[in-house]
Amino acid sequence: MAAPVSTVGKPSAERLPLNTTSFQKKTRTKLISIPGTRPSVQNGQLLVSTGVTSLDYLLGGGLAVGTVLLVEEDRYDSYSRMILKYFLAEGVVCRHELFVASAQDNPDDILQELPAPILDDVAIHKPVEQPRLSCEPQDSLDAMKIAWRYQNLPKVQSALASSSRFGHYYDVSKTMEPEIRQAAKCHRFYLTEHPTQSPPTHSTMLESYSALLKSLQEVINSEGFDVAAPMSKSRNILRIGLPSLGSALWGDDLSCHDNPRNGHALATFFYGLRAMLRSSLAVAVVTVPSHLIQDRALMGNITRLCDNAIALESFKGSERETNPLYKDYHGLLHVRQVPHLNCLASKLPDHKDLAFKLKRKQFTIELCQPVSTIGCQKSKVKLLTVA
Amino acid sequence: MLTELLQGSDAGGFIIIRDSASCSGRHLLKSFINAALNRLHFHNAYSDPLGWTDKPTFTVHQFCMEELARLLKQTSHPKPATLVIDSLSWILRHVSPPAVCATLHQLRKGGAVRAIVALLHGDMHQRGTVGSVCHLASSVITVAPGMKGGDAVAKITKRSKSGKVVQDEDIFTINNDLTVVIQSKHSQVGHKQADPEEQEMDPTAHLTFNLRLSNKEREAKEKLALPFVFSKEKKTALLHSSPGSGRILYEPDANDDYDQEDPDDDLDV
Repeated sequence: MAAPVSTVGKPSAERLPLNTTSFQKKTRTKLISIPGTRPSVQNGQLLVSTGVTSLDYLLGGGLAVGTVLLVEEDRYDSYSRMILKYFLAEGVVCRHELFVASAQDNPDDILQELPAPILDDVAIHKPVEQPRLSCEPQDSLDAMKIAWRYQNLPKVQSALASSSRFGHYYDVSKTMEPEIRQAAKCHRFYLTEHPTQSPPTHSTMLESYSALLKSLQEVINSEGFDVAAPMSKSRNILRIGLPSLGSALWGDDLSCHDNPRNGHALATFFYGLRAMLRSSLAVAVVTVPSHLIQDRALMGNITRLCDNAIALESFKGSERETNPLYKDYHGLLHVRQVPHLNCLASKLPDHKDLAFKLKRKQFTIELCQPVSTIGCQKSKVKLLTVA
Repeated sequence: MLTELLQGSDAGGFIIIRDSASCSGRHLLKSFINAALNRLHFHNAYSDPLGWTDKPTFTVHQFCMEELARLLKQTSHPKPATLVIDSLSWILRHVSPPAVCATLHQLRKGGAVRAIVALLHGDMHQRGTVGSVCHLASSVITVAPGMKGGDAVAKITKRSKSGKVVQDEDIFTINNDLTVVIQSKHSQVGHKQADPEEQEMDPTAHLTFNLRLSNKEREAKEKLALPFVFSKEKKTALLHSSPGSGRILYEPDANDDYDQEDPDDDLDV
């Protein structure tokens, strides 16, 4: 938890279901265990899963409660919308509350397109994404004669994943069943239903953004997501999804003009959003069409105001689509910012060239394989067949 | 794909024809009108866009949802109309892009029109403006001059409701009666040259020693006893050792002299 709150950030004393160690920290305070969250192993922050396990690994285990994840959209907004849907679907499965605000599509339409969870994978503990040789002893002993001690070790792991399971998998080809979806409480904000009045003269923020912040504030206060609220009732996390913020439909000319008239409106909104989230049990994922924003200084400003920031670059329509290096992937992923919450420096990701691929059952983020290994693999295969 | 777009603009579709100074898209727009229409209602906003005369027919400031809905109701036709805008660029000169985008979005969602086809001059506006307006569209057709004189190349990007993006490229010409003739598909000359496969040098050719095994040699190789080969039970025990048990399994080798009785027997003391 980003805010210095004594009760919520402590790790749970009861055994976490997916914990493999028997170490139990002794705490005296009465703790709150919120379903779908776990404390970070690095700094004890309360984390939620984004719905994409590779992305959780990149962000250091998950998204810290009280922070904002900025996703810079790809050109046709296909993969960033997918990440948002994964985030909301994860909220439904973990029984969190949702808040969706949109200017273009009706929030109900977005909620109807959530991917279906693969529920039988939830109970299984062993990590599914690690490629393992067959676990049968008969087959494995025959496979390696000399190096048999390395039989059961996994192959070189290029997909990013952590050792313990946190988060669920979703099948993109199916949509979530209405019964599961309606079990989760969802708050909506559709901009066309909020008629905008003339803006107050001295405000640096647009009236659409002010209306959104007010609506968020009301939901947080009324539903008890505020950290200062009394601890009597059971707590839950609010997941906020804001697709295509900053597009022209919000009334913002940041993406239209090179020198926008109200260029700081979006930055002011993020400032207000982050301030609100720091004192509440909420997480936000915001997608911004950054390929339309010409002023890079403003974009850098907005990136600094969010805690986590990633950018997606899809290969569709660009000349990279035909590059043989990228033929297995759908696009590149750039990490623009990692959070440093309650500390001075943050852990930068080790790998800089990451690529993503949207498969039916998984959204994987992998290291881009360099060209030399592809060439070596080919010649290696040839030599083995000869000897 | 150009013929599909011409024939069936699906309901709620928003097609933008983006042209530039090098190649005009107005003829293609007229082909669209020709292909889609039964009756044509013409609203002239060109002669007096800002309403300087006393009786303007249509001003740019009337490009908002209420006024357009009123205009569309005046046609009194049962089926919703297709709205064709010759040059969004002229509207974008007078009305701010967010307002234009909002109006277009409301038109699409409201159901007052069946489809919208608009012409946009890409080089008249800033990149952000063109990008924002094209972002709203379901299909964008970019017109560029073709190789031969009368040809034009249309690069089409179509976004379906499910988020799938399809791209296509067509060479077309427009006849005098405004029908579109598609030439053969643009065979990608230029940036997609097939790289000649580098001849993989076979490193095992031209060697002075023999890398192959005869059958007898292969059998002898299989029979060779490897130094650290263990029994099957021991291998499974080592591989699947349970966590937390640090057992050391030791099989005395031939060289080990494990004499139980007196370990110091060989000392000469």
